[in-house]
Amino acid sequence: MSRTTHLRRSRVALAVTLAAASLLISACGGSTGSKDPAVQKPVKPGQKVDLRFWSWVPGVDKAVDKWNATHPDIRVKLEKIPAGSSGGYAKMRAALKSGNAPDLAQVEYQEIPSFLLENGLVNLSQYGADKDRSKFVDWQWQQGVFDKAVYAIPQASGPMGLFYRSDLFKKWGITPPATWDEFAQAAQKIHDADPKAYISTFPAGNSAWFTALAWQAGAKWFGVNGDTWSVNIDSPQTLKVAAFWDDLRSKKVIKTEPDFANGWYKDLQTGGITSWVSAQWGDAIISGNAPRTTGKWAVAPMPQWTKGSNVSANWGGSSTAVLKGAKHIPEALKFAEWLNTDPTSVDLLLQGGYGWPAAADGYKGSSLDKPSQFFGGQKYNEVFAEADKNIDNSWKWIPTIDATYQHLNDGFQAALAGKGTFVSAVKQAQKQTVEDLKKKGLKVSTGQ
Amino acid sequence: MPTRAPRRRRNLAPVVFVAPFLLLFLLTFALPIGYAVYQSVMDVEYTGSLGLGGSHTVFVALSNYSDALSDHAFLRSIGRVLLFAVVQVPVMVVLSAGLALLLDSASAKGVRFFRAAFFLPYGVPGVIASILWGFLYVPGVSPLVDGMRHLGLSVDLLGGNTVLWSIANIVTWEFAGYNVLVLVAQLRTIPAELYEAARIDGASAWATVRHVKLPLLRPALILTTVFTIIGTLQLFAEPLVLKPVSSSIDSAYTPNLSAYNEAFTNDNYHLAAAEAVLLALAAFVLSFGFLRLINKRGGDA
Repeated sequence: MSRTTHLRRSRVALAVTLAAASLLISACGGSTGSKDPAVQKPVKPGQKVDLRFWSWVPGVDKAVDKWNATHPDIRVKLEKIPAGSSGGYAKMRAALKSGNAPDLAQVEYQEIPSFLLENGLVNLSQYGADKDRSKFVDWQWQQGVFDKAVYAIPQASGPMGLFYRSDLFKKWGITPPATWDEFAQAAQKIHDADPKAYISTFPAGNSAWFTALAWQAGAKWFGVNGDTWSVNIDSPQTLKVAAFWDDLRSKKVIKTEPDFANGWYKDLQTGGITSWVSAQWGDAIISGNAPRTTGKWAVAPMPQWTKGSNVSANWGGSSTAVLKGAKHIPEALKFAEWLNTDPTSVDLLLQGGYGWPAAADGYKGSSLDKPSQFFGGQKYNEVFAEADKNIDNSWKWIPTIDATYQHLNDGFQAALAGKGTFVSAVKQAQKQTVEDLKKKGLKVSTGQ
Repeated sequence: MPTRAPRRRRNLAPVVFVAPFLLLFLLTFALPIGYAVYQSVMDVEYTGSLGLGGSHTVFVALSNYSDALSDHAFLRSIGRVLLFAVVQVPVMVVLSAGLALLLDSASAKGVRFFRAAFFLPYGVPGVIASILWGFLYVPGVSPLVDGMRHLGLSVDLLGGNTVLWSIANIVTWEFAGYNVLVLVAQLRTIPAELYEAARIDGASAWATVRHVKLPLLRPALILTTVFTIIGTLQLFAEPLVLKPVSSSIDSAYTPNLSAYNEAFTNDNYHLAAAEAVLLALAAFVLSFGFLRLINKRGGDA
């Protein structure tokens, strides 16, 4: 028998073992009840406590160092894990099931319901978390609230705007589009002016981005009616957004390459892509990957569906949650609160590029509140500060959001391959999402 | 007449020697497979308002299997790897055999160099190979694509109709050299007398290949074919790595990718287990089916 078989075999074996290992872990968990253990009391002053914290956020190590230097009794040990969707959540779920979870972990807003479903988060209201409410932007606080109990301390979000190449726009006589109609016209003008240039790409594999656009259009995909999850992805608002991009795609005035990939980075550097509807944290992506375009970018508000309105949306957002099985919950909560509100910590996180602070007064006077050389001297974060106030704050998530994203991705990709449209992908994702929830034995209703 | 050893000891010896292997086999092979099968007939159910009241594992018989088999995306992924195999297996076997025969021909120069050169890609891990080729496929970054465009050929190597064959190219690049090595080794075992006899009979070089080399190469050809069949069904690393740069690779592009995503993205281990078991069954049926077919036609594998 040759080594090829071994290699090939070991690949199956690896896949099977991986699956089996994770299954083993899930089996050990067995049936998980909803009963909470007795509420923990804070340790006595002077008693030393060690906390484990799993996160992937850039710059968080510096904030943790700062905490450890100023809080000798509560020592936080940071363990860097892969970003949530790249394996971080799988690791956390496995740790939860095997009863070896860290005290604290990074959980994005959209994932909070799925961790709740796994009974993986500690009800922080029992520990007086509600008193911190006023320190945070209200809607971000609400992302962690279920059934009137707080399950996560918000950290950051991603209010959206339009990054664009001011030099190229000026050269071609294009003003930053204030409406989506103008965006479509600008798309045509740009492609006419330079056949190699496009206004942007439609990233078929990145449904989180599309979700944010639907959010801005006034869609409310998910909700809760009593004991039932509601799903309303295929609302007229979402279909309008999908049809808009279907139209641009059929006119071939946008690119359809994936974002955050080599070709896309190259296009950012060379002007192949001349604008990007993105979240505030997109600034670090552009300046980090296209450093030679310094001074050529600017930021405008997100294009509007109705002229004169001023609606933004959110893309991304993350919280610090205390996981079930944490040994020192009161201390963990204290750290989570400090990490996300203490001005020194917030500034360290901002420098790392973690996004838009969830702390109510995080922006004013911070390192974001300054003119930027990269953005041509523009004090560009003012745009996002304004956007932050104009986000529909009632947006909610469901426990099977990853599967929904995947259905949308697959549908959009099929559309690019000539099978169906973005509109049909949205309709299909609605049906599949209802199925996903039903399969888990959950009650589902459709419509708002 | 030699004296016979006591019967009992003779029977015990193999058991003692085989025991460590059997133990490892049970622990690392049979047990995980058995466990995957067990998990594939279970599922998790949630209770309480919004499902937040807790969960328990229930026996669902074959419902995960029927879910997998009624999932169009999963079925398409199976169809896709079968199509891939139909093209990839002959290409791989013919190419490897051709290269092996060229290397083995008496007049070949620089045999050692070419043998090493063919084999080299096998030393590159599949993930690295896919990243490397990925760079050569992405327009705007790839000199290959740009060069072809200058020649008036505008090909999207990552498009819906092409990406599967771009993957086939990576797989061929990776594994052809290894198969060549297996075949060359087999060719080296052919006794020189046979060539001599062929020469005395006045056989041309081509006749020698057809009537001496190829028949004697048969066992190695069967072996490499079976490996390639199994390998193509398990296609995983290449599409996974190319996924971020291609809009045409979805989450269920191959059965392995589908099981991986069910387990690690959708947290749906039971369905993933069912898909993994189905894939293993398909690989089993196809490889043994091929062996039976070959053996029926005569000759030993």
